[in-house]
Amino acid sequence: MLKTLRISWEIQTTYRVNSILYSLKQVPGLRRLLPEQLYQVRCLKVFAAVLSFIWGILKLFGGKVLYFMLLLDLPQRFYPELPPQQIYLHLLLLLTVIGTIIHTGFAEPSYQRYYATCLLRMNVKSYTLIQFGWEMFKTALGFLPLSLFFGWSNGVSLWFCLLFPFCVVGGKLFAAAKDLRAFERRGCVIMEHPWLQWGSAAALLILAYGLPLTGVVFPAWLSMTLLLLMILQVPLSLPVFYCFQSYRQLNQRVMANFFNNTELITNSAQNNTRNLISEGGTVSENKQGFEYLNEIFVKRHRKLLWRTTWIISGVCGISVLAGAVALLLFPGIRPNVQEVIRHTLPIWSFVLYFINRGTGFTRALFINCDHSLLTYSFYKQPKTVLRLFQIRLREITKINVVPALILSLGLDGLLLMSGGGTWIEYLVLPVTLLSMSLFFSIHYLTLYYLLQPYNAGTEIKSGTYQVITGATYFVCYMLTKVELPMLLFGLLCIGFCLIYSIIACVLVYRIAPRTFRIRQ
Amino acid sequence: MQFVINQLYKAFDHKEVLKDVSFRFEEGKIYGLLGRNGAGKTTLMNCLNGDLSVDGGSFYFEEHGTKQEVRPEDLGYVLSTPTVPEFLTGREFLKFFLDINKSSIRSPKTQEEYFELVHLEPSDRDKLMKDYSHGMKNKMQMLVNIIAEPKLLMLDEPLTSLDVVVAEEMKQLLRSLRDGRITLFSTHILDLALDLCDEIVLLSHGKLERVEKSQLDREDFKERIIEALRGDSYA
Repeated sequence: MLKTLRISWEIQTTYRVNSILYSLKQVPGLRRLLPEQLYQVRCLKVFAAVLSFIWGILKLFGGKVLYFMLLLDLPQRFYPELPPQQIYLHLLLLLTVIGTIIHTGFAEPSYQRYYATCLLRMNVKSYTLIQFGWEMFKTALGFLPLSLFFGWSNGVSLWFCLLFPFCVVGGKLFAAAKDLRAFERRGCVIMEHPWLQWGSAAALLILAYGLPLTGVVFPAWLSMTLLLLMILQVPLSLPVFYCFQSYRQLNQRVMANFFNNTELITNSAQNNTRNLISEGGTVSENKQGFEYLNEIFVKRHRKLLWRTTWIISGVCGISVLAGAVALLLFPGIRPNVQEVIRHTLPIWSFVLYFINRGTGFTRALFINCDHSLLTYSFYKQPKTVLRLFQIRLREITKINVVPALILSLGLDGLLLMSGGGTWIEYLVLPVTLLSMSLFFSIHYLTLYYLLQPYNAGTEIKSGTYQVITGATYFVCYMLTKVELPMLLFGLLCIGFCLIYSIIACVLVYRIAPRTFRIRQ
Repeated sequence: MQFVINQLYKAFDHKEVLKDVSFRFEEGKIYGLLGRNGAGKTTLMNCLNGDLSVDGGSFYFEEHGTKQEVRPEDLGYVLSTPTVPEFLTGREFLKFFLDINKSSIRSPKTQEEYFELVHLEPSDRDKLMKDYSHGMKNKMQMLVNIIAEPKLLMLDEPLTSLDVVVAEEMKQLLRSLRDGRITLFSTHILDLALDLCDEIVLLSHGKLERVEKSQLDREDFKERIIEALRGDSYA
């Protein structure tokens, strides 16, 4: 076991260290400074290992900090009437159950798992159990300080805050053990039924945030008891892991799913995107050249592009309708909702960040279209690059604008129903959201054209691209912390989006014909 | 017409891949570019195709003593791994390519005539290219590269993984296309190069050199090539 732990740790560390060194080599400016024999230099490897350790710590706590802040702390603002301790425990219980449904951390497919079990032929049972044990240890460790901080600040007793991380571990062990039993009996893996997984999670999510809107919250004692019951699952589940005999078969199944039925690790992303190509789709006869190419592209990728957009738009529409129904049924919440709409406009940048389809669109463009066509000289001519940029900008704007439009009109409607605003607020609110949508459309397409982050193997190999996309996320997240009056934020946002869009288009016209190439 | 490479230089960090590549290619000939794995054959072709920037030197066409800049439409580049837009059918790809290059195609043919040229079965012409075999993708890639009749057609190990029938069809096609253009054919299969090419050029130690065949029979010629390549370092 110790040997397995050491080897799997070494694989993970080597993988991370080499990835960091590779990324450093991609950063403009550093490329020339770093030596050619990068992977042989001991001090650089130590430096990367330190970075990897820091990254591990950030990952351990960072995601959980966001989880507590965004999913537990922030929503409490929407229920000012309810006791904080009760709503906190209510959300904690349901979100923990959702967490166990969608992510157990058991036998998760990953590159490291592929290297360890398929290439290095390590014992699958030992590797899986060691990995899972390590994951559970990190889970408990990561949750402990946050449980103490947020639990304490919400009036939850100290002993419960200390026990909560073990409730999470117990829940995950229970879910993983259930998966193992299902695999033994029916040969099915939970990940093969995502609709069941996500459907249950969505139902529980509605229960978590919807029930309190009606004033119904689980009593604190019930939430605590149910959570504590999860700890009992630890001793009950452990024998299942010990007795399970089919680790190798399970491993093959999850890895096959991961690589989408292909044996080649490097082709997995490519194949996932390729599988999104749909048959059929008629193209109007009068379309020629690049318009013809674009129309076929959009039609053959309707699953990835438009179907997802309609789903997102549907969710937005249902959310708005639910809000409207709540306002009609519970007139008491109207002033709060009006206040929230008026002062939380910056938060919508985070929402629009998540629902924009920029990265999915550009990835499909590269893997299924530009990756091949960029090898033909006619496709690299400046006029071709710019013509396609125009067409694609139009397409991604159309795709992103639908949910933004629904949200814009919906929020205007909710503002009207909750007590109303001034005429300028009715105007600024939708224009701001539509500007944000336009910004994300231009932003991701511009990054794609200026940095072209993919290499011939369709992997993202641009450090600059990753830094900018990370910064985009960070800025959008930080905006959720900003409290500005709607008018001020709206006008600033519209101005920024317009100026950014103009600068981005100018940059594309000047630089993209040189930069839009396959990265070697 | 000649294609001239003059003191081309390319390095990755401190590794000099192309040191002083100079050569003069003649119209109407197929040149076999031989070199060991990692010798820089693909790098040379990527530089000529504009996919990689060069660190020094130049290349151009020369016609009746006049230099002509290389334009993208002068080049055709067939990769060893055929890359075609897989969301299109063969016919859609051909139509798209013909639309875009309408003005530069000197003697246009019908779509069916083009498909016949590369022996693509009628039943395969309206299938998505993601369902094409390796050989079929290779044929489509070759087709769109020859339609516009580029002055320089570069092929990077294009026949390596084709079955014998398709490989033979491709060889016949290349022989039929040699007039009026320069064909640069990279391979590390010596017999294939000797079978197909008019001239053999070695890329060794970052330089290009012609192997003189005069007075040598096939076996002696092979020996000379292997001897010349043996000195090159491992890739």
